[in-house]
Amino acid sequence: MESFLDCERKDINKLKKYQLPNQAKNIGWLILCVAFIPLFFTTKDTSSKLIAKYSILIGLLIISISKEKIEDELIKSLRMQSFTFAFIFAVFITITNPLFSYLANFVFAEQQEIFSGIGDWIILWMLLSVQVFYFERLKKMHQ
Amino acid sequence: MNNRLKVERAILDITQEELAKKIGVSRQTINSIEKNRYIPSTVLALKLSMVFKKNVNEFFDLEENEMPII
Repeated sequence: MESFLDCERKDINKLKKYQLPNQAKNIGWLILCVAFIPLFFTTKDTSSKLIAKYSILIGLLIISISKEKIEDELIKSLRMQSFTFAFIFAVFITITNPLFSYLANFVFAEQQEIFSGIGDWIILWMLLSVQVFYFERLKKMHQ
Repeated sequence: MNNRLKVERAILDITQEELAKKIGVSRQTINSIEKNRYIPSTVLALKLSMVFKKNVNEFFDLEENEMPII
């Protein structure tokens, strides 16, 4: 009889197959480029802007989880490094941002503002874009 | 960790690309191992050992500060 831990291990191993094929990366870049267009041409915060914002996240996510042409152990290691860096960076910015905006308001606007949080879209955008950028940079460093 | 990958590759007279194809990795991985920027896994080290027909410790060896306490 399989133990509970064995079952859990199998389920976790299934989650390892989360990656998309390499061709999906181009689709991700296409979605990202198309999604940026409404942000430049729409001035008011309309629904198209909201769709564009979420399309940017979907595009970045597709790029982020797409395999490389040769997905070997070096690439896996660099991917892991970039995810770690992006995670720490996003958490650090999320924690420190309210403090900086509070100080900026206090010094420049000379008024006390309550601590305001950072938006969820910004956090996700930062997490994904830092991961994609840092991963590409790591790959270049190993050329 | 030091390695003699470049020397072993020269003995076999194969390029980084050819060696990479033999063991199923990218040329960048071989380049990174040769330049000591990446330490390969045991599986990859054993694959290299089969290509070079030598024991792993003949082309990979530990530096002084990495030696185990025996």
